[in-house]
Amino acid sequence: MEKVTKDKIKAGLEVFRQLHDSKLLTHLNSCVHCGLCADSCLYYLTMKDERMIPANKVDVVASVYRRYHTLAGRLAPRLVNARELDDATVEEMVDLLFGACTMCGRCVRHCSIGVDIEYVVRMGRKILSDMGYVPASLQATVNAALETGNNMAIPDEEFLDTIEWMEEELQDELEDPQAEIPVNQPGKNVLYTLNPREPKFFPLSISAMAKVFYAAGESWSLSTTMYDVTNYAYFSGNEEHGATIGQRIHEEMEKMQAGKLVLAECGHGYRANRWEAPNYVKKAFPETVSSVELMAAYLREGKITPDKSLTEEVVTLHDPCNLVRGGGIWHEQRYILNRCVQHFEEMSPHGLDNFCCGGGGGQLAMGEYNDRRLKIAEIKAEQIRKTVAKIVATPCHNCVDQLSQINVDFKLNVQIKTIAEIVADSLVIEPKSQK
Amino acid sequence: MVVYNTVLMYWFEWIALGALLICLSGLAYHMIRLIRLGVQDDYSARAGSPVAGVFYSFTGGMDPRHKESAYLNLPTYVSGVIFHIAVFVTIVLFFLFLTGVNPGQSASLILSVVAFSGAVTGAGMLIKRLRDPKLRYLSNADDFISLLLVIVFLILAGLTLLIPAAYPVFMLASSLLLLYMPLGKLRHAVYFFAARIHLGRFYGWRNVWPPRKV
Ligand code: SF4
Ligand code: SF4
Repeated sequence: MEKVTKDKIKAGLEVFRQLHDSKLLTHLNSCVHCGLCADSCLYYLTMKDERMIPANKVDVVASVYRRYHTLAGRLAPRLVNARELDDATVEEMVDLLFGACTMCGRCVRHCSIGVDIEYVVRMGRKILSDMGYVPASLQATVNAALETGNNMAIPDEEFLDTIEWMEEELQDELEDPQAEIPVNQPGKNVLYTLNPREPKFFPLSISAMAKVFYAAGESWSLSTTMYDVTNYAYFSGNEEHGATIGQRIHEEMEKMQAGKLVLAECGHGYRANRWEAPNYVKKAFPETVSSVELMAAYLREGKITPDKSLTEEVVTLHDPCNLVRGGGIWHEQRYILNRCVQHFEEMSPHGLDNFCCGGGGGQLAMGEYNDRRLKIAEIKAEQIRKTVAKIVATPCHNCVDQLSQINVDFKLNVQIKTIAEIVADSLVIEPKSQK
Repeated sequence: MVVYNTVLMYWFEWIALGALLICLSGLAYHMIRLIRLGVQDDYSARAGSPVAGVFYSFTGGMDPRHKESAYLNLPTYVSGVIFHIAVFVTIVLFFLFLTGVNPGQSASLILSVVAFSGAVTGAGMLIKRLRDPKLRYLSNADDFISLLLVIVFLILAGLTLLIPAAYPVFMLASSLLLLYMPLGKLRHAVYFFAARIHLGRFYGWRNVWPPRKV
């Protein structure tokens, strides 16, 4: 690790100096070290390492705050465990805040006081980002998005080839040569986004959503300039990068004169675009909804008609933390599954209490912590196993990735699907051009 | 009880009064700082009600049936509740003593039971903090000092109710506690409310709280 310099310390401490409101100050001063959050965190539960207790992640940030901004911390640092922002502290911060937290927010809900642990972790990551200590792999993902417009640096040509291929698949499936995956078509009702994992690794989810749009008769388009729903700057803690990425997607929307922005199934992508980006750029954004909300609306309004009998297997649902606890979307996916499959079984716990799959917080992008990521996945594997489900549905491509690894590593023998894939599988559609 | 009926204040009562003023000023400093900084402007389109979120934060959000910190740790949770009730009662008692109000014999007996119960649960929490590896790891000197000061405060309050001669010592112990309060973790007396307000606003805005039935 690069040595901590005076300039870096100054840059890091700015986060405490430039308080825009009382939120950070509040959460840095609230923890009473009761330790009761330990059993809510998948890191502590699977590793039984005291360092992983959520309160300790708060404390590593709060101890720096105390050292520079409280009377007791300045006069008697040992009394209140106030720490210098030095090499050892930074190293520990990187390890705990980047390497031992998926920012799932589960501990927040269960904290006896109400400390927003996840928020403090994010602010701690911001300090590290301002000092230049974001893990290289995560920073590379952010840089790819900043430089190329998508976090996997997929060239336009490759992207368009994949879309064309998926369009052919769609036409074959629907037996309609007019069925299309529209690209760069302005003036549509919906500007749809994708997680770059889709064109790169899971293109079938693109044709699945296209099938849903087709069935609903939606007017929609993708954009080659900006289709990436993710914003990894939310995980790196760099709000300027977050603003740049968040702003782009909305500029594209204006350019394309789209009615609304529909976010692909991506937990943090939903949170970053729907809730965080307007605050990064300090302005209200046009209508932004999750594709899960949109599909639920299609079903409610009768725009699509599913046939439950087409999915006989038991289906369970994994709730992405940022969509559910951080975003307030948890009825919609249940409504959809209850309409589209014969047997839907909840995991335990689920909804607001669900456990993270282990891939959140940028963990999937940080190869440095792969061993931990798979260790904490034990909990999710056990949750899935207990349901006897054969299909695990989840409205998040990052979760799909992590769940797919869990599936192999823990020999679960299940299928992992997005909600769009479940909906698409349940649709029986007559080709429109033959109507 | 002679000490309760006197009009003139004793030297140790003056000390306690001074400590109280310093404590209140310290806590007011924290509170005013929070109020001046205010709450976050949110530019995202609101989906729920921050007011309902804050209400839930102090009600359903604290429901022990829904909090793992409570239902997975029931003995600790119950001890914590008893401890905090005893502390609040004893703070009221401190004011009564200072203003020369005598709670009366039977009330004194009940109040001393409350104070001693608090002290016992506090002692239990102290032992747990010393023995539980998780808590030992998280604890710093401030955690122990704060807890010890409160336990002594509770014991001396209970004793004063039964043996009036303990009153000066109680007032001096209270003074120490009051002087320490704004400096260490005891200031969560202020920050607890701020934390729950922030949490309620945040989740209320996003329509996460209050949770809707599926
Ligand atoms: S946010 Fe999640 S991973 Fe991070 S400390 Fe809390 S429970 Fe653990
Ligand atoms: S439950 Fe909350 S108050 Fe208790 S140690 Fe954890 S973060 Fe701190």
